[in-house]
Amino acid sequence: MGRTKGSAGGGSKSMPPEGQSPASSEVSTSSSVASAEIRIKDNLKELFSLIHQVQEERTRGENNLTNISKTHERMQQEQKITPYYKNKLRGLYNNAMQDAEGEAELLRKALDKITEIKAIRENRRFDSDRPKPIMRRGVLMSMLQQNAVTLPLWVSKPGEKPPPLCGAMSADNNYVAKPGDKVAARVKSSDGEENWILAEVSTYSTSTNKYEVDDIDAEEGKERHTLSKRKIVPLPIWKASPETDPEALFPKHTLVLALYPQTTCFYRALIHEPPKKPQDDYSVLFEDTSYPNGYSPPLMVAQRYVIMCKEDKKK
Amino acid sequence: MKGKGKGAQDNECPLMFPDLEPVDHVKQCPRYTAILSRGESETVGLEELDIIQGDLETLLANAGKRLKVLENEMQILTNWQEKSGEIKPAGKIKGGKVQPDTPNKRGKAADDKPSKKFKDTSGKASSFPPASKLKSKLSQMKLPEPEHIEPSPLELPKLPKNNAVNKFWTSVEPYCADITNDDMKFLEELLRTHEDDAEYLKVPSIGMHYTEKWAEEDLLEEQKQGSKISEKRNGVSDTNGASTLLKSAETSIHDESPFGVLTQRLVSALIEENIMTPIDDEMDEDYPENDSFNESAAISPKELAKQLNLGNPVHLEKRIKKELEDQGILDFDESEEDDENDEILRELRSKQAELKVICQHNILATKKLYKLAKDEMAKQELKKKLAISDSEIMESYRKVQVAKQKKKTPTKKERDAVLKALKDREQIMKTIDLNV
Repeated sequence: MGRTKGSAGGGSKSMPPEGQSPASSEVSTSSSVASAEIRIKDNLKELFSLIHQVQEERTRGENNLTNISKTHERMQQEQKITPYYKNKLRGLYNNAMQDAEGEAELLRKALDKITEIKAIRENRRFDSDRPKPIMRRGVLMSMLQQNAVTLPLWVSKPGEKPPPLCGAMSADNNYVAKPGDKVAARVKSSDGEENWILAEVSTYSTSTNKYEVDDIDAEEGKERHTLSKRKIVPLPIWKASPETDPEALFPKHTLVLALYPQTTCFYRALIHEPPKKPQDDYSVLFEDTSYPNGYSPPLMVAQRYVIMCKEDKKK
Repeated sequence: MKGKGKGAQDNECPLMFPDLEPVDHVKQCPRYTAILSRGESETVGLEELDIIQGDLETLLANAGKRLKVLENEMQILTNWQEKSGEIKPAGKIKGGKVQPDTPNKRGKAADDKPSKKFKDTSGKASSFPPASKLKSKLSQMKLPEPEHIEPSPLELPKLPKNNAVNKFWTSVEPYCADITNDDMKFLEELLRTHEDDAEYLKVPSIGMHYTEKWAEEDLLEEQKQGSKISEKRNGVSDTNGASTLLKSAETSIHDESPFGVLTQRLVSALIEENIMTPIDDEMDEDYPENDSFNESAAISPKELAKQLNLGNPVHLEKRIKKELEDQGILDFDESEEDDENDEILRELRSKQAELKVICQHNILATKKLYKLAKDEMAKQELKKKLAISDSEIMESYRKVQVAKQKKKTPTKKERDAVLKALKDREQIMKTIDLNV
């Protein structure tokens, strides 16, 4: 997916937006609710037409694909593959590739549009005087789930490599999570135990290299933690497409940290099955001593909530 | 593309004829289809965004995949054409879906796959006789294994067993295990070892001073050396000379008092008496004797000792002391008078005192442990009994249950058995309560 990191990550700087913030920065906080409304409407319209364009492109390409499959059949029926067919196939393939590129480009545009609309919506929510709502646990859980589902999908073009923070690709060393980004944070709880929790970045101080993060689970009291960079792992900002970017997925048996379903804590787990389709989740086995073999039965965890396990061998 | 390729290929044809079927959006992307069917005046709803995003992503993933597959095929095609000279005419016809084992061959890294493929092809074309066709076919079917869809799971580590739990329990086990007779034996043995403690509290009698000893040794050494030479000369040796030589030297050094304090005191006491008696009774007669006595007193104590043939003055001292104590003249001297100047003795004493305390403590602790262990053994015995009784009760319960299921009333015998088991258990519980 051709969206650049900037457009997906650069939220408005003046206020910490909620959720991931792939907003374009022209969305100023001063924009009134009404103007935001209009912008959303316009964008929706554009999205609508983009979707239609996508379909046009697809129909156009379909002919060619049918042609290819027919040629394939014919070639397989004939015992010999003549140079004629080879050349024909080349031509057909070339056309199909161009079609696919065009189609993908339009789809990316449409998806970018969706992200943009969402960003505007997020900001509008912020402009309203209501402070950040305190969610009930159930609501929070479904929101986290929704966040994971709507995490943008990355599909590499030929010759392209998945960027950092796409699926299993870890962030650059000097990457700094932006305010509002969701991260996994290693937090010491009151009983002295260290846990990886799901948190939202509030600020980052370049002088001390420390983050201020908020526990995502507001129910447990609004906890703010000041943590060094080492104790923060940014969550992926793209899903990886298993069909095109399998290298951006954790392979089977990798030790990872995964968000335990219905909690806001990350625990150590082994990948049981990587996703097969873009919308699929990982199947993971959590380390769990209450089971005889030391692992839980397979549980599904979205790509967004599976990260590399940093603390490798303590022993 | 729905994973079922028309991958029928001849042994020589590296093309995979991938299935490039586009997504059937009517089936797979309902929201997308719904939006398409809307008229110009309509638009997309805000609440639809998440769903349409999913649909579009499905399409995008499909397009991206198609692109990769096509690129890969193109690569194969190009490479193939370059090498087309080697290709043999196709020997077999294979219809649409003859080889469903190889449908997923697509999207491999473009540079990796073709080379493999070509090795295979050329190898078969040039060197393999038809007899090995089966083999080559097999190898071909194996080939698509490193699949693009599965991210090269080359050397997968075995699922490591999470063993921490067992480790913990085994480490705790010794602390919770039953106390056995072996443990008791060990404790008894431990107690027995303390019987020898007195051994360490003895003070060995003082021997020769090390300077003397060393001097003697040195002298001996030298004599030996000397005797070696003299042996050569006259073959006679006199090793005994060393101690005598030393003794003579020694005696001359401390001539004055070879006797211990007690001996001296005793002698002086006796001498005085001796002096007193003759004066009282026969002063004049004994005078010459007195004279001679005086004479004898005048000779050095050393000479006296020699004359009296007393031997070792140290032993004499000891004998005198013992005798005096036996006679009741001298009080028993419990703590042998320590020489205050003897620092070795002092150190020895202090260490022995420490050792004594530690031993005392050890004995106490061991005894306590022994007692506790004994109690625990008794408790264990009861617990074992309880467990047996429990299982008995469970057994009879099961029997009763079975009887109930068969709608039979339990026989008198069974009922008695149950009652007895229950009673036994109660008894055991009581004893446990008492003990606790």
